[in-house]
Order: sequence, then C-alpha cells, then structure tokens
Amino acid sequence: MTPEVWLLLGGVLLVLLLLAAVWTLTRLSRLERRVARAWTALDTQLQRRAGLAEELARNYPAAVGEDRAEYLAAFAADARRPVDGDRELAENLLGRELRDLADDLPGVPVALRTDLVGTATRVGLARRFYNDAVRDTRALRRGRLSRLLRLHASRQLPPYFDIEVRLETARPRPDRVAKSAS
Amino acid sequence: MRIGLVCPYQWDVPGGVQYHVRDLARTLRGMGHHVEVLTPAEREEALDPEWMTWAGRTVPVPYNGSMASMQFGPVSAARVRRWLRDGNFDVVHVHEPASPSVSLLVCMIAQGPIVATFHAATTRSKWLAAVGPMARPWLERISGRIAVSDFARRVQVEHLGGDAVIIPNGVHVAAFAEGPPLPGYSRGVDGPTIGFLGRYDEPRKGLPVLLEAMRTVQRRYPGVRLLIAGRGDAEEVRALIGADLQASVALLGELSEEDKGAFLRSVDVYCAPNLLGESFGVILIEALAAGAPIVASDLDAFKRVLDDGAAGVLVRRGDPPALAGALCALLDDPDRRAELSARGAVAAAGYDWDVLARRILAVYETVVVPDGGPVVAEDEHLVSAPTDGKRARSTLRWRGQG
Repeated sequence: MTPEVWLLLGGVLLVLLLLAAVWTLTRLSRLERRVARAWTALDTQLQRRAGLAEELARNYPAAVGEDRAEYLAAFAADARRPVDGDRELAENLLGRELRDLADDLPGVPVALRTDLVGTATRVGLARRFYNDAVRDTRALRRGRLSRLLRLHASRQLPPYFDIEVRLETARPRPDRVAKSAS
Repeated sequence: MRIGLVCPYQWDVPGGVQYHVRDLARTLRGMGHHVEVLTPAEREEALDPEWMTWAGRTVPVPYNGSMASMQFGPVSAARVRRWLRDGNFDVVHVHEPASPSVSLLVCMIAQGPIVATFHAATTRSKWLAAVGPMARPWLERISGRIAVSDFARRVQVEHLGGDAVIIPNGVHVAAFAEGPPLPGYSRGVDGPTIGFLGRYDEPRKGLPVLLEAMRTVQRRYPGVRLLIAGRGDAEEVRALIGADLQASVALLGELSEEDKGAFLRSVDVYCAPNLLGESFGVILIEALAAGAPIVASDLDAFKRVLDDGAAGVLVRRGDPPALAGALCALLDDPDRRAELSARGAVAAAGYDWDVLARRILAVYETVVVPDGGPVVAEDEHLVSAPTDGKRARSTLRWRGQG
C-alpha cells in the first residue's frame, strides 16, 4: 500500500476515535449531572428524616419514651453533622432507631407518623437511584475507551452511599470510617 | 405535579402496557395531577385530544412471541420535541424504553428527571440481548427505574445493567369487586361455571389443556358450563371443542371492561391454564378482586400473584388430569371456594391503582429535586444550560461531606 493510503486510514481511525471520545465525554458529563441530582435528592430526604426525628424527640418525648427521645435527638443531630465524618454510619444509627419505634405512637399526630413512613420509603428509593447512578458512572469510567484516553481520570469516582434500609440490624463499618476520615 | 407518560405501543391495540399507562394516567389525573400521554396509534382519532398526543404509527416487529412496535426517525423525534416543549413536565415517565420505540426516543431527547417502567419478563429474548447494550447510553439518563415484577427486574439487571424498584401492575379493585354478574350465570345459583379469558387461537394461553380437562370435569358435573371470553376465530375454536363438549361450552366473544368484571363475578372458578410467556398475570389480579376462586398453572408470574398457592390453586402446566383434579376438588368444596374468595380480596387490595399510583408518585417525588427545573428537549438545554464548570462545583458537595 502507498503511504497515502496509510495516511488516509490513520486519519479515518483518528476521526473515529475522536468521535467516540466526544460521545463518551458527553455520556460522562451527563452521568455526572445525574449523580449530582440523585445525591441532592438523597440528601434532601435524609435531612428531612433527621428533621422529623428531631421534631418527634422534641415534641413527643412521652410517646417514644424519655430515654429513647434523647438517643433519637442525638442520632438525628449526628446524622446532620457527623462528628467523625461518617455519614453512612450516622444515618444507619438514626434509621435503626426510627425503625425500632413502636408502630402506634400514642399522642403523635397522624400527619407526622405518615411523614415518617413516607420519608423512610423515599430514603430507600433515593438511595437506590443514587447508587444506580454511581454504578452507571463507574461502569463507563472502567470502559476501555475511558481508560485508554484517561477521560475524567482526574475526577474522583463517585462513592456508593451504603446505608441499609430494610434490614433489621445495623453494623458499624470500620473500613468506611477509615476511608472517609482520610 | 406535571407528569408526561410515554406509551411505546399503539394505543388502539389492546395490550397490557397500554392498559397500564391508561389506568395510571386516569388515577393520577383523579388525584389532581396534570398528566399527558404521548403514544403511537393506528388512528389519531382513537386518542382523547385533551390530554393525549399522537406520536404517529409504528412498524410491527416480532418480539416476545407477540408483536412489538418500532418507531424511529426525524418526524417522530420532532413530535417528541414539541410534546416535551409544550408539556413543560416536572417528570417524564417512559414505559418499556429498551425497544426502539417512541419511549427510547424520549430518553434520547429529554433532559431532566426521567422515570422508566420495565414490563417485559422474558429472559430468552435475543432481541433484548442484541438491542439492550446499544440502548444503554440513553438508558443511562433514566433517574429512577421501576420493574413490574421480579422477573422484569431480572431482565433489567441481566440485559440492561441497572437495578429497579418493583411496583406491580394494578387493577381498579372496586370496579371488579362490585357490580352485577352476567345475566343467567349468577355465582353459586346457576350451576357450576368455569371461566377462561384469552385469545382462543394462541396455544400458549392453554385453552386445549383446559378443554381436555373439561371432559373429566363434565363426567362428574354434567351441568358444568365453561365460559370462554376473548378474541379469536369462533369456527376454529368450535372444531377444537368437539361434539362431546359443545353443549357445556359458551363462547362469549370479546368483552368490554364492564362485561369482563361481570364475567369474573359470575364464574365459580376462574381457570388460567397458560403454558408459558405470561409476564405478569393482571387477569389473575382482576379475578382475585372479583372474588373468583382461581386454578392457575404454575408459571412463575402466577405463583407470585397467587402468593405461592395461598390465594389460589396452582397446578402443573400442560397437565390436563392434574387440572381436572384441581377443578373438581374446588367445585366439590364450597367452603374452600369461600375461603379463597376472601383471601383473594385481601391479596388484590395491594394491587389497587390508588395504592400503586401513590407508590409511583413517591418515585417521581424522589427524582424531582427542588429547583431542578422541568424536563426539556436536549438541544434547547445546550443553549440555556449553565456551564459545566458551574455544575462541577455543585457536585463537590458530596465529596466534601464524604
């Protein structure tokens, strides 16, 4: 083959590679926006849950029990501003505390109880949608093209938000404490 | 909330996805939300212009043993754009977006909160295996995924690489629970009746198995009547029935929604002898809501709806003697029928559209973030969007929080 043909072939290949790179970059930034939106949604629901827990502890300590109310208030405050920086652990503790409450809280208005149940559902949904978005991002970042061309390589991989929503027991995650403290 | 629903299949052709979208739209409208539907249809006049937009016609392609719709091209894309622009939706909810349909087009064009519901439950589909990965770049835009069953979720996870929350298909329980029976076939009064609903000429619906079983049932209950409802060629099915059963079988033809309710309220036993391919089994939920005791084949989808046999009798698929045995046992035992009837009402309550629409609304509310803005068509977004730099900074929040 003549040098011209080689040059042409190389050119075509380069253009294809460029197109693929642009396309992948478009997908990556789209996913970045989706992750950001999903995080906002999850954060909103978690804040809302903490707010409801605080309201419950402050206004209806008799219904949940005095001891319980203190714990609840403390866990809610910690979920808003985790002392050791581990939000997942803090949210797990609050979630467990809320799950352990009796089903019929005497004296607590129906509206608040409905809100609590609704928020618990939405926390579950938001967590799943956020982790879905993270997984899609990670899958694309792991792709051959992304690694070859180092697309978005300087950006941190979005972390999974790993709280349990339905299971009965919460386990502390020492590995995560170490990771997020660094 | 302003909600845009997208149905990928022709509106004027009967089908589970179409009914799902229709019922969801009506329920949400009844709850005071602004709902619009974008759907293809054979005839534009079949749509209610007040809240439905015509997306053109589709090209049929074989899929999952039935016909699926294909729709692509610049004209459809322009319709999608206009619909998104005029609708100004808070959230767009597409159905079955993995096939090349108007649903996938919406995923390609819309920018903003998109929710998708996956209906198909077959894992044998070569089509999905081939097309799924190609659609992936656009399915990535979906913020919240819903599957109508465990099986639909499994398809989603295996072929399309994403998880989904399960929210089943619904029925209007009250519409089936209350109302008159079919004249001449009152339950428990006019002699034992067994009901079957489905296309006569689709072997996978299992009518031949039921007819074979009926020969045994007829020997024990000479007065038994089999009521067959649904579309199909009457001559063909008469040949299938044969001379010995002719007197015990009544062909009701295709039923309207009200008549379907009346039919299910009339029969002493509803039978679903399907051999394969049923992805959900809405008809079983309708029968449960109508208080009909059920004998169904042991398909995974049916087992799920019937709570592994607690809300209905399950028999081995394609086994006429077993089916005949189950039918006779149930006809013999009025107490058992009453018990199944009572359990059915409880089981059906969880599938009521009012309950399910609220669960779907919770999904919408989760994906719609405060100040997130409406769903827009992509090119407009490129003009009006904030720069990527701005957005990148806003995403720093979760990094800081760790």
